[in-house]
Amino acid sequence: MAETVDGIAFFLLAFASIGGAVMMLSTRNVVHAAFWLLEVMLATAGLYLLLDAEFLALVQALVYAGAVSVLVLFTIMLTLRRREDAVRPFEPGWGALALAALFGGAMLLAISRAQLPIGAMPASVPTTADFGRVLFTQWAVPFEIASLVLLVALVGAVWWSGGDRR
Amino acid sequence: MSELAVLLPEALVLVGALAALFAERLPGGDRTAARLGWVLAAAAALSAAAIGVREPIAGGTLAFDALARDARVAVAALAALYLLWLSGSDLGRVREMAAFAQFAALGGMLMASAQDLATLFIAIELGTMPAYVMMGYERSDARTLEGSLKYYLLSMTTSLVMLYGFSLLFGLAGTTRFDHAGAMSPEGLLGSFAVVFALTGLFAKLSAAPFHFWTPDAYAGAPASAVAFVSTVPKVAGVAALLRLTGALSAGELLPLYFGAAALASMLLGNLGAYPQRDVRRLMAYSGIAHSGYVLLAVGAGSASALGYAVIYAIPSLAVMLVASEEGTAVDDWAGLFQRRPAVAWALVVLLLSLVGVPPMAGFFGKLAIFGAALDAGRTALVVVAIVMSVVSAGYYFKLIRTAFFAEAVPAPSEERARPSLASGVAIAIATAATLLVTFAVAELLSLPGIRG
Repeated sequence: MAETVDGIAFFLLAFASIGGAVMMLSTRNVVHAAFWLLEVMLATAGLYLLLDAEFLALVQALVYAGAVSVLVLFTIMLTLRRREDAVRPFEPGWGALALAALFGGAMLLAISRAQLPIGAMPASVPTTADFGRVLFTQWAVPFEIASLVLLVALVGAVWWSGGDRR
Repeated sequence: MSELAVLLPEALVLVGALAALFAERLPGGDRTAARLGWVLAAAAALSAAAIGVREPIAGGTLAFDALARDARVAVAALAALYLLWLSGSDLGRVREMAAFAQFAALGGMLMASAQDLATLFIAIELGTMPAYVMMGYERSDARTLEGSLKYYLLSMTTSLVMLYGFSLLFGLAGTTRFDHAGAMSPEGLLGSFAVVFALTGLFAKLSAAPFHFWTPDAYAGAPASAVAFVSTVPKVAGVAALLRLTGALSAGELLPLYFGAAALASMLLGNLGAYPQRDVRRLMAYSGIAHSGYVLLAVGAGSASALGYAVIYAIPSLAVMLVASEEGTAVDDWAGLFQRRPAVAWALVVLLLSLVGVPPMAGFFGKLAIFGAALDAGRTALVVVAIVMSVVSAGYYFKLIRTAFFAEAVPAPSEERARPSLASGVAIAIATAATLLVTFAVAELLSLPGIRG
C-alpha cells in the first residue's frame, strides 16, 4: 500500500516539477516565469521529502524557493521600468531545442547503461544533528571556504553598486 | 589543532586580504594596504616553501605534497609581485583590487591542495569569483562592465558544466575523494561524459581551445592591471588542480585523446589568432590560449613539468601586462618606449623572448621539458606542431618589440599614460630577473637533470 501511495505522490511531484519547468520556459511574461520557477523548486522539495531527506527539503524550500525566487523577483522589479516590458516575445530556439534533446537523450542512454555502485544505506535515517556533526568536522574546510566566497561576492556587489566616485 | 599550522601561508594571505578591506583605518590608506599585502604574500611564499611536504590534513581533503608546495609558493610569490606593483601604481582606489587579488590567490593556493571534489570546486570558485570584479574594476566604464559580465556568465556556465561532471564522477565512484592514482575510474559511456564535463570546466578556466572564445573579448574590456593578475595567477593554480585531478582519473583511451585535441586546437588557434591583433590585451589573451595548449600537452603526458611551465609562462606574461597597464593597451601606444624608458624596453625583450622560448630565457627550458615529456609519452606529431607554432609565435611577439624600439612615438596615446613609480620598476625588474633565473628554481619540477642550480 505504502508503495502505491509513494508512487502516486512521486508521479504528482515529478509532473509538477517537469510541467512547471516547461511552463517557465514557454511563458511570455517574465514575472509568470519567476512564479513557475518557484513552483518547480517547491515540487523538488517535495521530491526530497519523499526520499526521507527532511533537511535537504527544508533547505530547498528556504534557500531556493524562499531566497532565490525572491531575488529573481527583486531583479525583475528593479530592472523593468514599465509593466509591458515584462512580456517578452516567444522565440523558440529550434537549434537550442535540438541540442537540449540530443543532450537529454545522450544522458538518458548513458545513465541507463551505466552500472552505478549500490551505496550502503545507513541502518537508520540520519538526523539533522548527524548532518551537522559531519558538516562541521569532515566538511569543515569546504564550509569555511564557502564563507569566504560569500564574503568576496558581498564585497564585489558593494563595489559595483557603490555610488561614490573615487 | 596543530595540523592546521600547515595552513599558515593561507592564513597570512587571508589576513592581508581582510586588512585591505579596512584600508580606511590604516595609516597611509590604500598604499599601506597594498604594501602590507605584498609583504604578507611574500611571507606566505617563504613559509609555504619552509613548510614543504607534509601529511594531508582535514581528513585527507587537503594534500601537502610536492605539487601543492610548488603551486602554493608560485601563487603566493606571483601575488606578492602583483601587489608590489599595485602599491606603486596610480590607479587611485586600490584597496578592493588588493583584497580581491589576495582572495583569488588564497583560492588558488587551496585549489592546488584540494584532493576532494567538493573542496576543489569551492576553491575554484574562490579563485575565480574575485576575478569577475577585478575584470570590471572600472565601474564607470560601460565597456569594462560588458567584458566583465561576459566573463562572469561564461565562467559560471563552464563552472556548472564542471560541477555536473563532478556530480557524475561522485555518482560513479561513490566518493568525492581522489587521493591516489586511479581513485576515480569512471567506466562506460556515462564515465566518458563525466570526464569530459569535468575537464571541460577546467579547460575553460585555463582558456584552452575550444573553450577560449570568451577570453579575448573579456580581456579587451578589462583594465590591463586586472588582466595582468587574472590571466596568470589563477592559471598556475588551475594547472596544479588539473594535474592532481587527471592523476587520479583513469579513463582508458579517452584522456590522451581529449587532451591531445584540446592542446592541438589551443596551439593553432592561439598562435594564429594573435597575429592580426592591435590591442596588447587581445594579443596576450591569444598568447595565453597558445600557452595553455603547451601546458595541456604536458598534462596529457602526465608530467608535472606542466606546473613549471605554467609558472615560466605566468611571470613574463604578468610583467608584459603591467607594462601595458602603464604604457597603454594599443600596440601603437608602445611606439617610442625605447626613448621614454629604455630599461623597460630591454626588459620587454627578455620577457617576450622567454614567451617565444629562446635560450637562455626560462621559456626555452620550460618548452624543452614539456616537449621532452610529450615525446616520452609518444606524442611526436603534437610536439612537431608545438615547435612549429613556437616559431610562428615569434612573429607577433617581435611585433611588440619592433614597435617599442623602432616605431615613431605617436603624439596622442589612446589612454593617458601612468607615471611609472619605483615600485612598478622594481616589480618589472624582479619579473625580468626571474625570467632569466627561475629555471634554476624550478629545475627539479621540470626534471631537467643538467641545470640544477
